[in-house]
Amino acid sequence: MSEKLITEEKRVFMTGNEVVAWAAVAAGAEIMYGYPITPQNEIMHYWTRLAPKYNRKFLQTEDELSAGFTTVGGVMAGRKAFTATAGPGNTLMQEPMSMAEAMRLPTVAIIQQRGGPSTATVIYSQQEVTMTTFGGNGEGLRIVYSTANHQELFDYTIKAFNVAWKYRFPTFVLGDGYQAKMRESLTVYDPEQRGIELVKPEPYVGKPGTPGVDREPGHYRNTYNVEEELYEVLQDYFKDYAKMAKEVAEYQAFDTEDADVIVLSHGVVSRGAKEAVEQLRKEGKKVGYFRPITLRPLPEDQLKELANKAKKLLIVESAQGQFAKLIKDVIYGSSAEVVPFFKPGVGITTEEIAAKANEIL
Amino acid sequence: MELARQNRRVNLVDLDIVEPCYTLRPIKKQLSEQNIHVIAWETKETIGLGEAGNVIKPAARWALYNEGDVILDIGYGVEGSKTLNLIEGVDSEPNLRIYAVVNISRPMTSTVEEIVEYVKTLGTIHGLINNTHLGDETTPEIVQKGAKVVTEAAKVLQVPVIATTAERSVANIMGIHDCMGNMVRPLDRLMPYTLW
Repeated sequence: MSEKLITEEKRVFMTGNEVVAWAAVAAGAEIMYGYPITPQNEIMHYWTRLAPKYNRKFLQTEDELSAGFTTVGGVMAGRKAFTATAGPGNTLMQEPMSMAEAMRLPTVAIIQQRGGPSTATVIYSQQEVTMTTFGGNGEGLRIVYSTANHQELFDYTIKAFNVAWKYRFPTFVLGDGYQAKMRESLTVYDPEQRGIELVKPEPYVGKPGTPGVDREPGHYRNTYNVEEELYEVLQDYFKDYAKMAKEVAEYQAFDTEDADVIVLSHGVVSRGAKEAVEQLRKEGKKVGYFRPITLRPLPEDQLKELANKAKKLLIVESAQGQFAKLIKDVIYGSSAEVVPFFKPGVGITTEEIAAKANEIL
Repeated sequence: MELARQNRRVNLVDLDIVEPCYTLRPIKKQLSEQNIHVIAWETKETIGLGEAGNVIKPAARWALYNEGDVILDIGYGVEGSKTLNLIEGVDSEPNLRIYAVVNISRPMTSTVEEIVEYVKTLGTIHGLINNTHLGDETTPEIVQKGAKVVTEAAKVLQVPVIATTAERSVANIMGIHDCMGNMVRPLDRLMPYTLW
């Protein structure tokens, strides 16, 4: 039994779900809690194949509510715990993840989006953006990465554990059925060999010593009797989140300096958007590319700057404006015109994006 | 496609029905035009079905009763291999051969030990096919490395290596045989057109 899954960097060919399982092992995840749902099933399948070899654990629960709450419990016991789900499973997962928001628990959840509402379809969709970014009740605070390819699925799954445990906010990696099922090459590596320090977990409960005598008692709450107390707790959370946001927000951009039209996209759709912008630039068209990698927190300063510099923002997504809603909230009052290009739950090609950008130039 | 070019009657059966992502549906017409009898759903036939529409086509259940060569495409490893239970005549067809297609760039089958362990979970297997590649990044060296590992695994499993497969431009560089003496079969990649 080898202690390390990855002993040297290598190019491999994997499905996105397989990548997530490998990344979770590489990140030092100790236990996965899960309930099957397409298109995330193979994360569980591959994790359960790897887990016994590397002394990791797995618990299949009776539904996603339980999978979420057991992930919460695992984290409270000081384990790097994670779960994965999609669609209606993600809907059920929101209650436990909301509890994680209330108690500032570093849960990690991989969401492989499927079409909706309800059971709907299983492959191409970006229709879980609203739920994954703002699915909790009250003032839920969380971190959401949206990946576009297998290398990013690997990199950001590792990062999700680190960011969650460093800042203590529930963290989500948002993929989709295409990324989950598609096979693609990527480089797998041991993060520590690359100088990435893995943040060590620590228990919230069951710490040594007597509470109140040897240490402060742990008082982790998701309920308050007095409104003023909740208000006060939330103010501190908001401050922590605002401080964290500047350090965590990530994006990719090119050719935005002189662009009349900037194509905004995220996740799998940004693959087509990138190619479309590159093609149009070769034709001498003033088009730029911007893609938030974190959907929450968004790179707000950069978005506002773009929205006051470009003439038009073309927002492309495989949903009916869920991503656009996030962007419009940030850039409210800016001068650029927002042009939507929404195809909910279906694929969007490079050609379609290029044609739409050409039309509005 | 090679068999079809020899004017043999080829039946290609889509049995990749466990959580499929790649499917023969989008290239069914293209393959039919090349003299291949494709037994697969068409997208319009699956409209109205539920999640993924992965119901076995009745013609696929009886596929072994077709005349000529019958090629069953089964995906999804261990669970996929159970799909064979749905096919009529599996136990009585003397000519049925089951081959495991192995890519050593896939981490679960990257070493001799892993391949042996994996293939043993699939049930009866009559041969291995070395299909080692890295998508668009494939080089002859990558395929040859696969040939060595897969041939070694085949020895342990006591089954033959049926062939090494490689995209046509790579296969042309490699020649007729790989470094282990296995026949090289050139592939024309249709996969980019086969996403669900």
